[in-house]
Amino acid sequence: MTTTGIVLIEEHAQRVKPPRMLAVPFFFGNALGEADNPEYQHKVLQATFDLLDRDQGPVLEQLPDDMVPDILMQGSETTNESSEKGLNSADELTELRAYYEQWMNSHDGRTAVGGSSIPQRRFRGVVRFIEGFISGEETDMKERPEDINVPQFLRLCVNDLKAFYYEARMAQRPDGADRDIHDWFWSQTAMGALVMALGTHMSGIDDKESQAVAFGIAR
Amino acid sequence: MPKLSALSEIQRKSMLMWPCIEHDDTPWTPMAKSLSESKVGLVTTAGLHLRGDQPFRSSHDGGDTTYRTIPRSTSSADIIQTHTSLGFDHTGIYRDINVTLPIDRLPELVEQGKIGSLSDNYYSFMGALRDVSGIVEDSGPEVARKLKDEGVDVVLLTPT
Repeated sequence: MTTTGIVLIEEHAQRVKPPRMLAVPFFFGNALGEADNPEYQHKVLQATFDLLDRDQGPVLEQLPDDMVPDILMQGSETTNESSEKGLNSADELTELRAYYEQWMNSHDGRTAVGGSSIPQRRFRGVVRFIEGFISGEETDMKERPEDINVPQFLRLCVNDLKAFYYEARMAQRPDGADRDIHDWFWSQTAMGALVMALGTHMSGIDDKESQAVAFGIAR
Repeated sequence: MPKLSALSEIQRKSMLMWPCIEHDDTPWTPMAKSLSESKVGLVTTAGLHLRGDQPFRSSHDGGDTTYRTIPRSTSSADIIQTHTSLGFDHTGIYRDINVTLPIDRLPELVEQGKIGSLSDNYYSFMGALRDVSGIVEDSGPEVARKLKDEGVDVVLLTPT
């Protein structure tokens, strides 16, 4: 079989030496350039398939960097103001539900929520689960499969909560820039503060698996 | 990614220190026929899978080297991502999964006659792995066999 592909970090392809790779200038999460831009995605695909015409390799060519998404903003770059405003995650979930459902309805039911398998209408229970875990309680959820331990399940819960918030916000502000959504989540929502607190708590647990999970929850 | 020189020192060092495999040479398989006559398969390292599949797992000892099968007929509504890294922006994928897995773009290329046909199944691995030996020795060859069994001529690889 003949292979061709897209690489985000050109320096890694120089070391691995795959047969044909197109180095693109986009940040992680945007391999084909831009969401909801089929024309540009086809441009990236065409450039990737064009590498199949080369007669020797390794081939490592660059896509012209005429479109570069913003750098991902991490939670630690912001100061969360939700507690001063008296916000709490459970009420936020209720307030955002209509927007989240609006997102799903306008996207043919497509949602990134689902890794934990907990229905979004049970997310207030997920908040209590996370709050209990942070405060050191023996806490669990009946939806957790036996073969997924608590740290891994917490990560899946956080992924779902973030996706719920982000999709609700995108329905609320359809023209909002990605960076504005990150800023809103981490600096203005009680959920952002809760997720950051969970990440901090798990990174301090003397268990490598919890620490590995924490690195993927918030930093 | 933009040139590493444009990133912060921490980001740049993190990328340069990443423990990827280094090879001295490259396996080379020339095209046996034109793309417009070829069957194309799709393999991604985006940590995507069907809703209801076993999620990918975080790991302190190198990462999850298993894979998931995504039938070509799957609707984007039935695909979710449990990639374990926080180091990338998920917003684009929330908006449009084609930004990492071009499931709608590839059939368009078939309709345009640029690609001959598509495999019935696509395959998804986790990315950001610190130890890929499980893929090199087990899951990678297994997926390659499945692609060959389907008569795939060309494999498109996408990251996230």
